[in-house]
Amino acid sequence: MALMNGAQYIESLRKLDIKVYMFGEKIENFVDHPMIRPSINCVAMTYDLAHEAEYEDLMTAKSSITGKKINRFAHLHQSTDDLRKKVKMQRLLGQKTASCFQRCVGMDAFNAVFSTTFEIDQKYGTKYHENFIKYLTFIQENDFIVDGAMTDPKGDRALSPSQQPDPDMFLRIVEKRADGIVVRGAKAHQTGSINSHEHLIMPTIAMTEADKAYAVSFAIPSDVDGLYMIYGRQSCDTRKMEEGADIDLGNKQFGGQEALVVFDDVFIPNDRIFMCEEWDFAGMLVERFAGYHRQSYGGCKVGVGDVLIGAAAVAADFNGADKASHVKDKLIEMTHLNETLYCCGIACSAEGSPTAAGNYQIDLLLANVCKQNVTRFPYEITRLAEDIAGGLMVTMPSEKDFNSDLKVGSMTIGETCNKYFKGNGKASVENRMRILRFIENMCLGSSAVGYRTESMHGAGSPQAQRIMIARQGNIAHKKELAKKIAGIKE
Amino acid sequence: MKYGIKFCGGCNPRYERGSAFKSIIADLPDKVNFEIAREEVDYDGLLVVAGCSNCCPELKGYKVKRKPIKMWDEKHIDQVKVEILKEVDVT
Ligand SMILES: Cc1cc2nc3c(=O)[nH]c(=O)nc-3n(C[C@H](O)[C@H](O)[C@H](O)COP(=O)(O)OP(=O)(O)OC[C@H]3O[C@@H](n4cnc5c(N)ncnc54)[C@H](O)[C@@H]3O)c2cc1C
Repeated sequence: MALMNGAQYIESLRKLDIKVYMFGEKIENFVDHPMIRPSINCVAMTYDLAHEAEYEDLMTAKSSITGKKINRFAHLHQSTDDLRKKVKMQRLLGQKTASCFQRCVGMDAFNAVFSTTFEIDQKYGTKYHENFIKYLTFIQENDFIVDGAMTDPKGDRALSPSQQPDPDMFLRIVEKRADGIVVRGAKAHQTGSINSHEHLIMPTIAMTEADKAYAVSFAIPSDVDGLYMIYGRQSCDTRKMEEGADIDLGNKQFGGQEALVVFDDVFIPNDRIFMCEEWDFAGMLVERFAGYHRQSYGGCKVGVGDVLIGAAAVAADFNGADKASHVKDKLIEMTHLNETLYCCGIACSAEGSPTAAGNYQIDLLLANVCKQNVTRFPYEITRLAEDIAGGLMVTMPSEKDFNSDLKVGSMTIGETCNKYFKGNGKASVENRMRILRFIENMCLGSSAVGYRTESMHGAGSPQAQRIMIARQGNIAHKKELAKKIAGIKE
Repeated sequence: MKYGIKFCGGCNPRYERGSAFKSIIADLPDKVNFEIAREEVDYDGLLVVAGCSNCCPELKGYKVKRKPIKMWDEKHIDQVKVEILKEVDVT
């Protein structure tokens, strides 16, 4: 099959029987649901841009398996150039959607599972790598989006999977059959899971032999029997349910999505299994996926940052504050922080190297530094955007009020709003509302899930990066450097 | 003359690449034909329109008779026209 466009992707979702629950009810038509559709539009952008000459250099690649042109989101990175282009593609999509476009987790999972299965097979003589290549070829040929599902609910964080009072707190193998395995458990915070054709499951943490039932990796269609999803709420999400809602949404067209994905005894056939009890490789898979995903954030969040910086500058223009030196300086600071994130994304890509399986992985230290900065800088960028925007972004009446004919005293409510919420008169009051609501959406509305808290926890909470930085930081070498110059010989 | 046009992916373009390309072809004679560059086609020339000085598109796979003409700044528009016209004159 050729590359899908956005409309074809949306149609392909309608053919799936994905079981979705929200507000305690089953959603029969999730594709057209007003709270879900913006996140689908976002994924559709990853399909549409692949067809545009001005973007295809980033959006497409030549498959290392089939030699055919594929969407870069299904690509195995073949060089440091590929790694850089991945980051650039993510920046581009952040710019086009100002939201989380959801397709990177799958791409990062492909690259991590590809190299890890190769090494498992080398040690154990298993056939996981062959299984995975067959699977990825199927994904590339069909141009599918896949949810890279790693995070378990984890219960008591102080206990390992096998020590949990409830054994389902980490997804596990409950039955081994001649033709496959049966799994039970859940994956939490799953980005784009409802919008994905398939799910690729990985363990969450490094394991010991006692945890081997939890050391499992496999892929399944999203509408397989026993699999269902419970939609995750976002702040201000029900604004999308309001009739005729437009300006109050901030970003009407695009949004992100997370869900709890539940595996209620799901059967996985042998040829879809990529790890089954090889507990000593769980840590490698987690580390590689996390590495790629920490690189990803040096692209996607930068693209969203680009839009937020632009929005803050527009708000200043409409407010009459654009000439103020502190406003100009704040825009410089936002740009500096944003480009610093990009520097890290590009640097860990440029310093990448081949794995034993042949695909390229990022420099792990630099990718962790990248993500550590991502846990901080978007917060400072939003702080500065809120500073420039002014308080109105959170105190403004609704769009309905601005349009209201209700007469109170000498004016209608609409006239009152339009009178008192004027800026410098260069832009209409409506446009001023639009830009302020858009900033609200990214700083603390539904897109803040992706821009802020996902920046904090996605691909691992800050401490997870600090552990990796400690491991990779090469302190022994640094001590030697200091001792040598200081003349210390011990 | 058959030209391929290759855009960079546009992650942070410093100018409108599409409009720049349109303004270039508007001033070229009819015998210069452009199409989106494909690896399986032989071209007389290749124009690379990049959004910044990194000019990152990979050109290895393209079959072109001449050295590709590259631009990464709006200011290059006139120079690109001159270079293409020079090639047209030679042939
Ligand atoms: C918007 C969003 C999108 C996401 N998308 C995906 C996705 O697509 N796929 C996916 O697999 N995952 C996804 N994640 C999950 C993400 O990887 C996790 O949120 C992250 O690993 C942190 O886990 P947690 O949320 O359970 O937090 P917790 O583990 O509860 O962490 C909370 C705090 O406790 C600390 N802590 C936790 N355990 C310990 C311990 N043992 N010792 C000391 N301190 C500890 C942490 O450092 C942190 O400070 C997403 C998360 C978010 C917020």
